[in-house]
Amino acid sequence: MADPVSSFDVSRREFLEGTGAVALAAVAAVPALGADELPSVPHTAIQVTINGVKQKIDVEDRWTMVEMLRDGLGLTGTKIGCDRGECGACTVLLDGKPVYSCSNLAVWADGRSIQTVEGLAKGDKLDPLQQAFIDHDAPQCGFCTAGQLMSAKALLNNNPHPTADEVRAAMTGNICRCSNYNRYVEAVMSVSGARA
Amino acid sequence: MNTLKTVGISTTRIDTLQRVTGKAQYTNDVKLPGMLYAKILRSPHPHARIRSIDTSKALAMPGVKAVLTNENCKVIWGAGSIAGGVQYSDEIKKITKQHRYAFNNPVRFAGEPVAAVAAVNRHIAEEALLKIHVEYEPLPFVLDQEDAMKPDAPQIWPEGNLALSNRNEAVPMGQKRGNVQDAFAKSDQVFEDRFSTAFVHNAQMEPRSAVAHWEGDHLTLYTPTGGIANCRTDMARDLGIGQDKVRVISQYMGGNFGNKNQNQDADLIAAMLAKQTGAPVKLELSRKEDYIGMHGRWPTTQYYKVGVSKDGAIQGIQLRGYSGMGPYRKNSGAMAGVELYEVANVETSIHPVYTNKTVSGNFRGPEFPQGYFGMQSMTDEVCANLKMDPVDFVLKNMTRKPGGGAKYTDYSLEECVKRGASEFEWAKRWKKVPGSDPGAIKRGAGMSFMAFRSGLGRSDAVITVNAQGKYTVHVGVTDVGAGAKSTMWMIAAEELGVPLSQVDVMWGDTDHCPYSVGESGSRTTIMTGGAVVEAARDLKKQIAAKGMPAGTAMLTATVSANPRLPEGLVRSAFAAHYVEVEVDAELGRIKVLKYLAVHDCGRIINPLTAHGQIHGGVLMGIGMALHEDLIYDKRSGTALTAGYYGARVLTHRDAPKIDVIFIENDDGYGPYGAKSIGEAGKVPAVAAVGNAVANAIGHRMKDLPITRDKVIAVMA
Repeated sequence: MADPVSSFDVSRREFLEGTGAVALAAVAAVPALGADELPSVPHTAIQVTINGVKQKIDVEDRWTMVEMLRDGLGLTGTKIGCDRGECGACTVLLDGKPVYSCSNLAVWADGRSIQTVEGLAKGDKLDPLQQAFIDHDAPQCGFCTAGQLMSAKALLNNNPHPTADEVRAAMTGNICRCSNYNRYVEAVMSVSGARA
Repeated sequence: MNTLKTVGISTTRIDTLQRVTGKAQYTNDVKLPGMLYAKILRSPHPHARIRSIDTSKALAMPGVKAVLTNENCKVIWGAGSIAGGVQYSDEIKKITKQHRYAFNNPVRFAGEPVAAVAAVNRHIAEEALLKIHVEYEPLPFVLDQEDAMKPDAPQIWPEGNLALSNRNEAVPMGQKRGNVQDAFAKSDQVFEDRFSTAFVHNAQMEPRSAVAHWEGDHLTLYTPTGGIANCRTDMARDLGIGQDKVRVISQYMGGNFGNKNQNQDADLIAAMLAKQTGAPVKLELSRKEDYIGMHGRWPTTQYYKVGVSKDGAIQGIQLRGYSGMGPYRKNSGAMAGVELYEVANVETSIHPVYTNKTVSGNFRGPEFPQGYFGMQSMTDEVCANLKMDPVDFVLKNMTRKPGGGAKYTDYSLEECVKRGASEFEWAKRWKKVPGSDPGAIKRGAGMSFMAFRSGLGRSDAVITVNAQGKYTVHVGVTDVGAGAKSTMWMIAAEELGVPLSQVDVMWGDTDHCPYSVGESGSRTTIMTGGAVVEAARDLKKQIAAKGMPAGTAMLTATVSANPRLPEGLVRSAFAAHYVEVEVDAELGRIKVLKYLAVHDCGRIINPLTAHGQIHGGVLMGIGMALHEDLIYDKRSGTALTAGYYGARVLTHRDAPKIDVIFIENDDGYGPYGAKSIGEAGKVPAVAAVGNAVANAIGHRMKDLPITRDKVIAVMA
C-alpha cells in the first residue's frame, strides 16, 4: 500500500495517449515555455480561426482546447467545470458544432474554426441570445453560462424554432448547479419566438 | 399598494452583462506575472498513518519550485474543524483539542491532502505528484455514522467518535420539553420509524481554486468565497498575522451553496506555497477533488417515535439521530424539523459522529432538508395510517407560535398551506388511497411546509456621493449567484430616492469593502441590506444638513448596523410545497409532473432573481430526493461517484417547471420587510417529493435518494 496516488484517477495525459492523440503531434526540440531549465515539450504550430480571426499558434501537444483558449490566448470566458466531459461549462463551437473543449486537444483545431462566448457579440451589440439571457435572468452564478450560450447558439443555427423539449435536449449536456434550468429554456424560447 | 419605486420591481442584474459576455473575472481567470501552478496529492486511504514521505524526486524535477507536506508545513486550518468566521476566536483556536492541519498525519479520509506541489505549469505539477513517494500504514476505518457509534468501532480520535464541540464537549445535541413517555402512554396510537439521508455535495460549477500573492508581509488572496470578511479573519488567524496584512478578493464566483463562507485549506496551501517560493501561486482543484476534498451535506440516520390522539393531534415526538461528520467537525450536524410542530412533549438527541468519509459541512440549509425529510415523512406516514388528509393534519399540528411564550413578527404559514392546496388543486391530485392507480403508471401528490429563521444581525455598509451625484455603495458581498450586488444596488437606490443609474456598487474586496456577514445562512439581504438602508438614511441626513458636495469633495456615510428584534419576537419565513409525481412501478422511474412552491419571504426586493432562488432550491431538493448520492466503496473506503455523472445532479431534461407564489408581507423588520430566501426553496422540497412518491405507490421510501432500484425492490 505504498503507491503514491495522484488526485486524478487517470491523468488527462494518460487518457489522451490512450486515444492516440500524441500521434498527431510533431515532436519539436525547442522548449515550449522558453525556460532553459525545463525539458523540451512536444509542441506544434497550428492555424486556427478563433472568433472569425485567423491565427497561428504554437501549442503544446498535451494542451486541451480549453487550455489553449484560456491559458494560451487569454480567452477566459470559457470555463472549466469538470475537465472531464461531464458538465459542459467549456462548450465552444468547433466548425459550428458544440464540443466540450476540455475533451478535445488543441492540435485537433488545426485548420478549423472555433467560436467562443467572446465571439458572440458584434462589438457592443449583443447576440439576441445574450440579451435574452440577461432579460430572463438565466445566469445565476454565471459559471455555466458560456457553455449554455454556445449550446443554444448551435441549436438555433440548425433549428431556429425549436420546441422547449428540443431546447432541453440540445442543452442537456450543460449542467447548471444553480438549477436555473426553467429560465435558460425560457430565454432560448424567447429568442426563437422573436425570429419567427 | 406598493409605493416603492425600485424595490419590488423585476430588475435585470447589475452584472449579468459581464456574465453573458465572458468578461466576468472568476478566481481561476486571474493570471499574475511569474505565477506558479499548484496541485495537491491526496490520500488514497480513508484512515492511515503516514510513515514517511519522500519528496526528493519531485523536488529534483525541473520546473518544480516547492513541495509542502505535514513535515514542513504545520499550519492549522481552524475553520476546517470548528465553525469558522465569527465562531472562530483566538480562545477557540487555543483550546481546541482536535486540530485539523493543512496536512494531517494520520490522514482520516480518502482525499485528505498529503502534499502540495508548486511548479511552473500545471502539467509539471501534476507529474511531480506522481513522483512523491508516501509510505502509509493503513488503519481500520468506519464509514457509517451508526457503525461509528458501536463500542468496537475504530476510533478516529482518542476522545472517541462522538464529535467534540468547540469547547471539547462530547455531548449529543438535543432538547427536552414536557414528558414524552407520559405523552406516549396517553396517546391513542404511537408510531416508530427510521429514515436515512445520503451524503450529497454542493457541487457548485466553479471548482475551487485560489491565487495567493505576497508583497513583503502582505498577502493578497483571490479565492471564491461568499464571505470575504470571514475568509480574511480566518486566514490571518491561521497564519498568525494581522488582519491588516491580508486582502481577500472575490469579484465573481461560480456558486457556493454553503461551502465558501470561511477560508479553505486550498487558500492556506496556496498562501504557504506562495510564501515558500516567493512567487504568486494558483492552486487548482479538479472536480473530483471538489467532491472528495471539500465537504457535503451530512448524511443522517433518524429514529422517530410519534404519539397521536384519535383526532390526529400530535402528543409527543421523540427523535434519536446520527449525523456523519467525517473526521472533523466542520459544522454542527444538527437536524431541523421537530420544531415545526406545536407539541408539548418533545425529546431529541442528535449525535454528530466522526467517520472516515469526506468532511460534512454547510450546504444550503445545513440541517434542514435532511431533517425535514425525516420528520415530515414520519408525520405523513402517521397521517396515512390515520387515514387523514395531510393538509388537515398539518393545519392541526403546525407551529403557530415559536414556543417559549414568544410570537412571530408576522405569520402566514396557514395562508401558505391553504393557498397552495387550492392553487395546486390538492383535493384532485392527492390519492385518498395511496398507490391506488391501477397498472404500472401511478400518480400521487405530496406536500410539506416550512418555518425558517429570518433573524436580524450585524453587517456594515458605506455609501459615498460625489459632486456629480454619483452614489457608490461599498458592501462586503461577492454575489455567489443569488444576486446580492443587485439587491444592494436596488435597496440603495430606493432608500436614497435616486434612479439605479446614479448608483454604483463596490464589492468583493476586503481593501475596499466593509464587513458583511458573508453569503450563507440566507442573511445577506436582511443584514447587509439593512446596513445599506441605514447608510442611505445617514447620507440623506448629511446632504440635508450640508447640501450636495461640490468640486472634488465627497460625502461618506459609514454604518455598522446590528439591529435586534424586541424580546419575545421571532422572525420566520414560511412556505408550503405541493408536488405531483408519476411513478413507473415497473421501471422505477419517477417523474415530477407539477410543482408549486408557496413562499413568504417577506418583501421581495427583486422578483426576477427571487423566483430563480426558489426554482434553483426546489430543483436541488428534487435532485437530493431522487438522484444525488456520493457512494462509498465499503472495502476501500473511497468515494465511487465523485463527479457530476456519478453523483447524478439534475440536468435540463430532469428539470420540471416550478411554479412559485410569493405571499408578501412587511413585518417592519429587515430592509422593507425582506426575509430569508436563498435556502428556503430547498428546505421543504425533499420531504414533499418523498411524500408524493409514497402517495403514488403506497410504499414509504425511507432511505434517500429514492432511486429506481429501490422503487423496483418494493414494487416487484
